[in-house]
Amino acid sequence: MLGRTGSKAAAEESATLEAHLHRVALGDREAFDAVYEQLAGPVLGVALRVVRDPAQAEEVAQEVLVEIWRTASRFDPTRGSARAWALTMAHARAVDRVRSVDAAVRRESRAAALMAEMPFDQVAEAVEASLDRQRVRRCLEGLTELQRQSVTLAYYGGYTYSQVARLLDTPLGTVKTRLRDGLARLRDCLGVTG
Amino acid sequence: MDPEVHSLTGAYVCDALEPAERDAFEHHLARCATCAAEVAELRETTALLAAATAQAPPARLKTAVDARIAVTRQIPPVVAPVPARIAARPRRRWFTAAGWGLATGLAAVVAVLGVRVQDQQHQIDQSRQRDAGISTLLSAPDARTDSVAVRTGGTGMVLVSRSRDEAAITINGLSQPAPGRTYQLWMIGPSGIRSGGLLPTGTEASNSVLAHGLGDAQTIGLTVEPAGGSAQPTTTPVMLLPMPA
Repeated sequence: MLGRTGSKAAAEESATLEAHLHRVALGDREAFDAVYEQLAGPVLGVALRVVRDPAQAEEVAQEVLVEIWRTASRFDPTRGSARAWALTMAHARAVDRVRSVDAAVRRESRAAALMAEMPFDQVAEAVEASLDRQRVRRCLEGLTELQRQSVTLAYYGGYTYSQVARLLDTPLGTVKTRLRDGLARLRDCLGVTG
Repeated sequence: MDPEVHSLTGAYVCDALEPAERDAFEHHLARCATCAAEVAELRETTALLAAATAQAPPARLKTAVDARIAVTRQIPPVVAPVPARIAARPRRRWFTAAGWGLATGLAAVVAVLGVRVQDQQHQIDQSRQRDAGISTLLSAPDARTDSVAVRTGGTGMVLVSRSRDEAAITINGLSQPAPGRTYQLWMIGPSGIRSGGLLPTGTEASNSVLAHGLGDAQTIGLTVEPAGGSAQPTTTPVMLLPMPA
């Protein structure tokens, strides 16, 4: 019951976001404020999770939010939700940032990997525990150990799957498969529809 | 459908592929409706992973974003491409709509620079050579583009052709370096970091250089160095621009 209500609310929120984004493409600053309201939190959150350094994460978030304004006309609702469009961009930017030369050494260390693996750590959670957060936590717990580690290291840790394979001392092909079936299981658990 | 490539959907939506593998996958994705559908679903899934990390943004973020969008022109929508040409030249699909936008941007920069250069003959010759080089690059069948924001403001764009072993790097809206300092480009790859030369400074809001002999370089870095440049970077890069394979 809760799940149904949640996804219905989410669907309505999503439709609103898409409508706002369309108006942003027309240069509407008020519509951008509404988009910002909905997306700044997740954009900053995912940047922080991947990049770890708050100052750099904020820079990434700033770039992404400006990019949402700049490229709003390129959003294509037939290819996915506005949220997925924006957060895909945010994650990619954050990953670009961590795959930089100065971070290379630090990120090879196992300690950093283990930190990244903790999906819900002690980072100040100023945002109240949301429905999304609870559902994701529950669904991650439903994965096998290897699926959960692979997804967490790759997505939240910002590692390539070759690096994940090395960190987990697991064959490349296995990690590749676990990423795919792990995400597919999350998709089903979270009730994502295409 | 190659099952090997297809199985990369999970790694792809996690941004966990090496650049070359990602490009190969995207090439496949353009022709595989099943993969595209799966990627779309998995992207909605990773979006929820991202949403679960939401943090209350500080007020200064909104202030900074508002200040920047006030001076940021929005890009126009993509107008339907000419289908006949795409059908006849499937390799063009590598060159995405965004790529075309960038290419147009680069062409505009070339035009602007072409007009602005005056004075000494050698400058004109150099500039002409570079502009001709960029135009040739634009028409290379394997020309690919990418762009990234410069940490200290501005945007870096690269247009690369591996077959020509050349790249045009354009930096827009870069702030002037402090006195006695200069911007230096770096070619970063598995075999190490090589200087890509000093960025010409001037009054133009954008700077363009043409680089030959890319070798195994995968990323273009930009650092602030003492005037005259350094043998190896001495400061944290203000930009790391991945070069499409």
